[in-house]
Amino acid sequence: MYQKSAYELHEAFVLGDISAVEICESFLKRIEKLDGKVGAFLQVLSESALEKARELDLKRKHGKPLGKLAGVPVAIKDNIHIKGEPTTCASRMLANYNAHFDATAVRLLKEEDAIIIGKTNLDEFAMGGSTEHSAFLATHNPWNLKCTAGGSSGGSSAAVSARFCPLSLGSDTGGSVRQPAAYCGILGYKPTYGRISRYGLVAFGSSLDQIGIFAQNSKDLALSAEVLGVHCKHDATSADHPKENFANHFRDDFKGLKIGIPYTFLEDLPDESRKSFESSVEILKKSGAEIVEVDLTILKYSIATYYILATAEASTNLARFDGIRYGNRDPHAVTLDEVYDLTREFGFGFEVKRRILLGTYVLSAGHSTSYYKKAQKVRTKIIESFEKAFESCDLITLPTTPTPAFELGSVQDPVSMYLMDLYTTTANLSGLPAVSVPSDVSKGNKPIGIQFIAPSMQDAFLIGCAHAFEKACPVNEQLPEIAKENV
Amino acid sequence: MSDLSDDTIEHLARLSRISVTEADKKILYQDLNRIVDFIDLLEQVDTEGVATCDFVHKHHKHLLREDKVKDMLPRDEFLKNAPDHMGGMVKVPPIIKKE
Repeated sequence: MYQKSAYELHEAFVLGDISAVEICESFLKRIEKLDGKVGAFLQVLSESALEKARELDLKRKHGKPLGKLAGVPVAIKDNIHIKGEPTTCASRMLANYNAHFDATAVRLLKEEDAIIIGKTNLDEFAMGGSTEHSAFLATHNPWNLKCTAGGSSGGSSAAVSARFCPLSLGSDTGGSVRQPAAYCGILGYKPTYGRISRYGLVAFGSSLDQIGIFAQNSKDLALSAEVLGVHCKHDATSADHPKENFANHFRDDFKGLKIGIPYTFLEDLPDESRKSFESSVEILKKSGAEIVEVDLTILKYSIATYYILATAEASTNLARFDGIRYGNRDPHAVTLDEVYDLTREFGFGFEVKRRILLGTYVLSAGHSTSYYKKAQKVRTKIIESFEKAFESCDLITLPTTPTPAFELGSVQDPVSMYLMDLYTTTANLSGLPAVSVPSDVSKGNKPIGIQFIAPSMQDAFLIGCAHAFEKACPVNEQLPEIAKENV
Repeated sequence: MSDLSDDTIEHLARLSRISVTEADKKILYQDLNRIVDFIDLLEQVDTEGVATCDFVHKHHKHLLREDKVKDMLPRDEFLKNAPDHMGGMVKVPPIIKKE
C-alpha cells in the first residue's frame, strides 16, 4: 500500500477499499521502523495524524463530502507553520518555538482533508544544500545512505523517496526543492513566484522563497499544486491568478513544442551528467520536441548574483531573532547587548552566521552599490534574457544539478557547495516555475534529474510537460531498496 | 583578490549583533574572502543603463489592505513563545546600569 501514490491512496480511500486509519498507521509504522536510518523527520505527529484519520473514516461512513486529498499523508518542512506544533527551522534558536497559526499552504491541505504526518529536517533556516547544516541531524539519501538527500528540503525529499509519505512540502529559495528531488529520484516543483502563498513560511530570501512540492509522479504534483495554487490575502506578493485544473494540461508527448537549451551555459557540465542529459534530450526529440538553442550566457553570473541577494535578504530577515520576543534567549546574558550578541552567537549555526555576515557586507556602506545594487541589475538582465529566450521556445530544459548526490561530509568549501545550485538559482532569480523530474540513474546507482522551466504563470503547462516526460522516460518507477522494505 | 581584514570581520559581526570567537573568526576570514572573490565576478557584467530589479514580476499589483488592526494574536498566546515575561509584558534585562 505504501508504494501507492497520493491520488491512488485517495481513490482507494474514497471508494472504501481502505480506511484512513489503515493508511495512516501503515506510514507511521514505516517511519518508526526505518527513519532511524534516513533521518527525514524532526517530529512525527502520530497522535494528530491518527485523530485526523479517525475523523475522515467517520466522515466517509456518514456520507459527508471528502476533500481532494482525503486520506493522503503529507509531510511538512520544519520551516512552515502548523498551528500548535513546533517550527524549529532546524535551529537551536527556535528549538522551543510553537507556531501560533497555520501557514496558508497547511490550511489549504487541511481543508482538503490531507493527513499531516510530521515535520521534516532541513539545513538551518533553509541555508544549505545537504541538511548537514541542520542543528539536529543530517538526512541520508534513501538510495545510498552514505550520501546526502540534498538540501535544504532534504527531509521532505527523503521522506517521499523512502515512501514514508506520498507527498511533502518544502521551500525553494535557490533550488532547495528541485536539487533534493533530483538527488532522491522523485519530482520536485517550484511554482512561479507568488503562485503558492508564503504566509507561514519562515522567511529566508523573501524575493526568492517559494513553497514547493515533492511527489512520486506528475499526477500527484498536479493534484496538490491545484489545491495550493490560490491567491492569499495574507501575502502581498501572492499572485491573483485564477484557479486552474492542472490535469487538463497533461500531454502525452512533446509534439508541436519547441524546447530551448542554453548550450553555452552547460559547457562545464561533467562528463557523466552531460551524457545523461544528452540522452534525455534524445528522449525529448523522440517524443516529438523540436530542440532549439537559446542564449542564456548571462546565467553564468547567476550564482554570484544569487548569493549576494539571498544573503542580503537573509541578514535582514534574520535580524528578528534577537532573543527578545520569541525564540531562545541565552541564559548567560546579563545586559541587553549580551542578550542580542550571545543569543545570536549560540542560537545560529556556522553557515547561518557566514551568510548573515556576507549579507551584512554586501549591504554595508561603501559596498552596497558594487554588490547589492549591481546584483539587482544583473537580476534584471537575467529576467530579460529569459523573456527573450521564450520568444523562440515554449519550454527550457537544463540538468537539475551538475552531479548526482555527493557523500555526506565530502564538500567543505563553501563556494564549491554554492556551485551545486548553478542550474537551479536561475528560476528563483527570474521568478519562473520549474520542475525537476527523474531522468536517469547513474552508474553508481544514484538518481539524476532533468529540469524544465516554463514562462511565468504557466505552472499547469509545466506540470503537463513533466507528465509527458514521465511517459517517455518512466525512470521514476524505480525505487531505492529502503522503499521496497515491507515493515 | 579581496581584502576583508580581521577588523572588517569584527565590524560585520558587530553590525550583525553576533559575537564571534577567535577560532570562528579565522575560518570566517578565509571563507568570506573566498566568497567575495567569487562574487566579484559580477564586475564583468555591463549593467550601464540597466534598471535594478525591485520586483520579479513586472505587472504584479501589490494589494494593500486598510491600515486597521485585525487578526490579533491573543497576549497569552504570544507570551507562550517569549523567553521571559512578567505581568503580561515581555521582560528584558536592564538597559541602564545602576551606578
